[in-house]
Amino acid sequence: MTIISLQHVTKDYGHGRGIFDVSFHVKKGTVYGFLGPNGAGKTTAIRHIMGFSKPQQGIVTVSGLNSWNNASTIQETLGYLPGEVALPEHLTGEQFIQMMMDLRKIKDDTHCKKLMDFFELDASGKVKRMSLGMKRKLAIVTAFMHDPDILVLDEPTSGLDPIMQQRFIDFIKDEKRRGKTILLSSHIFTEVDATCDEISIIKEGHIISSFNKQELLNMTEKVFHLTVENTKDYTQLIQMIESDITFQLISKNEQINELQISCYPSDLSKLIKRIADFPLLSFSEVPFSLEKHFMEFYDRRVGGELPWQ
Amino acid sequence: MINGTIFKQTLRANIKLWLIFTLVLTLLQVVMVSVFDDRMITDIGHMVEGTPLAGFFGQTTLLSMLASTFYAIHGVIFPIIYIIMTANSLIAAQVDRGSMAYLLSTPTKRSTIIVTQASYLIIALVVMFCIETVAGFITLQVFQSDVDVVIADFMMLNIGLFLLMFAISGISFFFSSLCNLSKNSLAFGAGIPLAFFLFQLLSSVDDSLEVLRYFTMNALFDTAAILEGENYWWQFGILLGIGIVLYIASLVVFKRKDLPL
Ligand SMILES: Nc1ncnc2c1ncn2[C@@H]1O[C@H](COP(=O)(O)OP(=O)(O)O)[C@@H](O)[C@H]1O
Ligand SMILES: [Mg+2]
Repeated sequence: MTIISLQHVTKDYGHGRGIFDVSFHVKKGTVYGFLGPNGAGKTTAIRHIMGFSKPQQGIVTVSGLNSWNNASTIQETLGYLPGEVALPEHLTGEQFIQMMMDLRKIKDDTHCKKLMDFFELDASGKVKRMSLGMKRKLAIVTAFMHDPDILVLDEPTSGLDPIMQQRFIDFIKDEKRRGKTILLSSHIFTEVDATCDEISIIKEGHIISSFNKQELLNMTEKVFHLTVENTKDYTQLIQMIESDITFQLISKNEQINELQISCYPSDLSKLIKRIADFPLLSFSEVPFSLEKHFMEFYDRRVGGELPWQ
Repeated sequence: MINGTIFKQTLRANIKLWLIFTLVLTLLQVVMVSVFDDRMITDIGHMVEGTPLAGFFGQTTLLSMLASTFYAIHGVIFPIIYIIMTANSLIAAQVDRGSMAYLLSTPTKRSTIIVTQASYLIIALVVMFCIETVAGFITLQVFQSDVDVVIADFMMLNIGLFLLMFAISGISFFFSSLCNLSKNSLAFGAGIPLAFFLFQLLSSVDDSLEVLRYFTMNALFDTAAILEGENYWWQFGILLGIGIVLYIASLVVFKRKDLPL
């Protein structure tokens, strides 16, 4: 079941800014990563999900409701973490939490207390005097205080220290386990890599790639790093790899008899059978890096050479 | 339609400014009423007899003196400044800073926000002018008990001034609801009321500038008409109408506009 859906959404701010014909769908219970550099249009897309902006073209729905016409209804089951923390400064953290509880008509504050403990939020002082990290934690707690089914998080870990970033990622994984639907925008590969099932990459307002991480992993070539015992076997192995089109030689270092081989997962057992005859000192898989994949994508597409369509 | 939680926060954030302006306005009224000296005016009247100023001082009563001072200058400009600052902070400043996002990430309708914030501004003005009027009335009784003052006219001056401020608050609130940037909201929401005030002031000091009367809404608060018993109800009606239309327009534009949050 689709929870968040953007269909051919266009918002043109002029000068090539905005988002153009953006479509993606977030299914129930998945973590969807929205990845792109600063200014790519992530916040603009999220604005439409929240009903802050009306699309010039296209339709945005949340749980089947048009997000422009039903914004306030949608908020009942949605938690939103803005990309920039701009809390009302005249309040103390506690007053702000109380205000948000009142606006959401929450009577029971046990969940909220739990979140405050988990993120080590000290809400006693004035918001104005809080550090950026503390403000972010305050925003996080108020976004999740009503235990919403849908989470929309705009660059959630920016401004958090590394320990809190990790804790946040753990929190997201836990929420996913509890069946929440999560949209997470980010320009950091590692946090998307660590949490997301589906990923869309956006650049200059256009979605340039959408994929399922598991499918991508199954589809992409595996890379292995090998060290051979002696030069004679090393040369033979290289000849064998180069003569077989199912394997690719990625790199070699003749001085220390090292090489990297890649092949598709379907050819794995064939590869293992072939190299079993060689005396090896080491054999290890080079882990797949989303970042590397992402960069390749960017370099290919963003040079401006390829047309968008 | 008014949200109690938002109203409470708005009150908390704005009460200080309101107190200061209410105090200043009330003090000005009290001072101006109490310093009026009937005999002094009569003395001056004798002194200037036969000069062009004779007419002016001959006619001077307490209320006409107030009409050309408090109800033309102090009582107008101070509430205008209060309105400009408050109206901007109620909507546009929160959109500009981004803190409006938190209100709208709860099940709160945009219309609820506008109605609540507009109510705050209107109630703040009503209470401000009630306090000012009551203080003026008491001062009249205490310091000017021997002077003949038409209380009905005094009340009408205050009601007229309030209606003018209601209409002006409509202008500032409308631009606060329309603009996403504080600087734009202030350019119009402060610029127009201040221009109206200046036009009115200039048109009253020099005959050659009288034409400016036709370019200021403030002329609809016609103190001379009130004191001379002419018909001023249609002017009051227009001021009230302008205010109501602008507040409704604020609701409409805010519901329809794109918020860059
Ligand atoms: N309200 C707006 N008016 C004009 N341009 C805007 C507005 N909001 C965003 N933009 C522009 O649209 C582009 C995308 O911005 P944004 O969605 O905030 O990017 P991201 O969140 O991915 O960093 C940027 O070039 C930005 O300058
Ligand atoms: Mg952003």
